[in-house]
Amino acid sequence: MRASDARFVSKQALVSQPSGPVQGLGGWGYALARVTIALAIGAALGLFVGNFWAGLSGALATYLGFQLVQLFRLEYWLRHRNVSDPPDAGGLWGDVVAQVVRLHRRKNFHKKRLIEIFRELRRAAAEMPDGAIILNHEREILWFNRRAAELLNLRRSADLGLRIDNLLRHPSFAGYLSDPESSRGIVIRPKVVEDVWLMFQAMPFGEKQTMLLVRDVSREERIDAMRRDFVANASHELRSPLTVIAGYLETLAGDTAIDPTLRGPLEEMRRQSQRMTAIIDDLLELSRLEASDEQVKGEPVNVPGMIASLRKDALAREHHPSEISAEVDASLWLIGDAGLIQSALSNLVDNAAKYTPDVGRVALRWWRDSAGAHFSVADTGSGIAAEHIPRLTERFYRADPGRSRQTGGSGLGLAIVKHVLHRHGAELEIRSVQGQGSTFTCHFPEARATTALAKSVVAPERIRA
Amino acid sequence: METADLSHHISRRFNEDLERVRTKALSMGGFVEQQLAKAVTALVDGDSNMGEAVARDDYRVNAMEVSIDEECARILATRAPAAGDLRVIVAIIKVITDLERMGDECEKIGYIASRLASQERPADKYREIKHLGRVVEDMVHGALDSFARMDADAAIKVAHQDRWVDEEYESIQRQCITFMMEDPRSIRRALDVMWVVRALERIGDHAKNICEYVVFIVHGKDVRHTRLEDVESELRNPHASGN
Repeated sequence: MRASDARFVSKQALVSQPSGPVQGLGGWGYALARVTIALAIGAALGLFVGNFWAGLSGALATYLGFQLVQLFRLEYWLRHRNVSDPPDAGGLWGDVVAQVVRLHRRKNFHKKRLIEIFRELRRAAAEMPDGAIILNHEREILWFNRRAAELLNLRRSADLGLRIDNLLRHPSFAGYLSDPESSRGIVIRPKVVEDVWLMFQAMPFGEKQTMLLVRDVSREERIDAMRRDFVANASHELRSPLTVIAGYLETLAGDTAIDPTLRGPLEEMRRQSQRMTAIIDDLLELSRLEASDEQVKGEPVNVPGMIASLRKDALAREHHPSEISAEVDASLWLIGDAGLIQSALSNLVDNAAKYTPDVGRVALRWWRDSAGAHFSVADTGSGIAAEHIPRLTERFYRADPGRSRQTGGSGLGLAIVKHVLHRHGAELEIRSVQGQGSTFTCHFPEARATTALAKSVVAPERIRA
Repeated sequence: METADLSHHISRRFNEDLERVRTKALSMGGFVEQQLAKAVTALVDGDSNMGEAVARDDYRVNAMEVSIDEECARILATRAPAAGDLRVIVAIIKVITDLERMGDECEKIGYIASRLASQERPADKYREIKHLGRVVEDMVHGALDSFARMDADAAIKVAHQDRWVDEEYESIQRQCITFMMEDPRSIRRALDVMWVVRALERIGDHAKNICEYVVFIVHGKDVRHTRLEDVESELRNPHASGN
C-alpha cells in the first residue's frame, strides 16, 4: 500500500517536473499555510487559556516536533533505502521524498545499462579470435582476453600486474615493444620447445597504455618454411645435372671436328645453360637470404673499392654504355656483410649496364649525409612505367616480358637487392621517368656508415674473446 | 605528512629499481634460452654457421652478467634492503651466475656443433640429444617463468624434471661407450657428443638451482642440497619449518 503510494508520488513528481517552480511554490505554500494555521491555533488557545505566549510556544514546539519526526523518517528511510519503503509524507517532505526516489531510480537505470554494456563488451573481447592484452606504461599486464591466455599460458588474476617482457623473454620482443613503430609486428616462437609461432602487434591505447594483439601464425610460418625449403632443395637438386650438361656443351663447343651447321645451336645451348646456372645460383642465394630475418652485424666493408671494381667489370662487358661515371666518397665505408653488399651493388650496376643503350650514360654515386650512407645508380635507359615500380622487387617480375630473353637476367636480381638491404636495415628507392632513365638508390642507416679503416687494423668483431 | 610522502616516494623508487634489475635478469635469461635453442639446433641440423654464432655471442651473456651484478651491488649499498627485498637481490645475484654458466655451456655446445657439422652424422641424427635438449630447454623456460611469477610450486615441479635429465644423461653415456667399443673410429665423435650431453645435463642442474632460489625468495627457506620430497613436505607443514 505504501509502496504504491510512493510510486504514485514519484510519478506525480516526474509528471509535474516541467512546472518545477510552481510545484515547489505549492509545497512551500502548503508548509507556510501549516505554520500559519498552527500559530493561529496556538495563539487562539493561548488567548483562551489566558497566556498568549505559552500558547504560541506550544504551537511552535508541536510544529517542530512534527518536522523532527518527518526528518527522522526520511533519514531512516535513506539509510535503509534498500529494505524499507519511502515515508508517506505530505507537503514539502513529500516533495523531497519524491525527488530522492526519482534520482535513485534514474541512477539505478543508468547503472544497469552501463553494467549491461560493460558485460557485452567484455563478452565480445573474450570471444575475439585474436589474443588481446592491455599493458600500462611499465609494460605490466592490466587485462587480457581468453585467447591471449590460451596462447601465452597466462593465468587469470595471478598474472595481472606482471611485466609482459618477464614472461616473453625473447630478445627481439623487448626490442619491438620499446619501438613498436619500427615495424608492423613481430613473429616469435615464445617457447622454444613448441613449434608455435606468434605474431605480436603493439599499438598505443588510452593514456600511456599499450594494446598488444597476439595471433597464432604457426600455419603460415610452416607453409612459408616449406616453400623456402622446397625452393632451396629443388635448386640444389637441379644444379648437379646442369653442371654435367654445361660441361659437355663446353667440350663440344671447343671441338673442331664437329659439323659446322651444329655450331650455332650448340653455342645457343651453352648460353642458355649458363643462364640456367645463373638463375639457380640466384635462387639459392635468395633462399639463403630469406632463411633469416636477423640484421647482419658484419664488419667494415670497403664500398669505394667495390664500386671501382664494379665499374671496371661493367666497362669490360661486350656491350656497355659509353660513359660510366663514379662520384665516390673514398673515406666512407659501410658496416655489413661484404659478400651480400657486393651482390646487391653488382646487381644494380649490372642492371644499369644491361638496360642502357651503348650511347647512354650511367652515373654511380656513393655519399653520406645526416640520414646515413647512400648509393645510387642513375642511367639514361628506357625507364620503367610507374605501374611496374612497386612490383619490381618481386621474384621473376618482368616490366617488359620481351626484353628478358635478349638480356638473359635471372629475374631475381632486385629481389636479392631488396633482401640484402632489408638485412642491413636499408631501403631501396626506385625513381624512373619513361624514356629518360631510372635511378636506383640504396639508403643505409647512419649507424652503418663508418670511416675508412687503415689496412692494418683488424675489425674488433673478429677477435674472439 | 611530508615525511610520509617522501618515504613513500623512496620506497617506490626502490621498488622500481628492484623490478628493473629483475627484468634485466629475466631478459638475460631470455637470451640464454635463445642461445640454448640455437646451439641444440645447430648440432642437430649440422649448421656450422649457427654454432659459430652461438659461440661468438657468448660475450653478450657475460656482459649482461657484469652489468646486472654491478646494479645489484649498487642497490645493496645504497638501499640496504631487508627481508624479502634482500632475498630477491641475493637470489638475482645467484640466478645470473647460473645463467652465465649456462651461457658458457651453450658456447661449448655451439663450438662442438660447428666442428661436428663437417663430419658425417650418425644414423640416429642425434635424436637423443634433440630430445634431451628439448627437455632441458623446457626446464630453463619453466625455471625462468617461475622466477618471473615468483611461483614456488611451479619451481618445485620444474626441479623434479632434473632427475629425468640425469637419467637420460646416464643412458646416452652408456650408449656412447657402446659405440666407442664397437667402432674405435667413432671415438672422437662420441667424445664430442659426450661433451654436449654433459653440457646439457649441467644446464639442467643450473635450471634446478634457479628453481631453488625461487623457493628461497618465496618461503625464505634455503632448499639447496635437500631432497625434493623433503622440501615439499616441509613447505606443506609450515609449523615444522620454523617460519
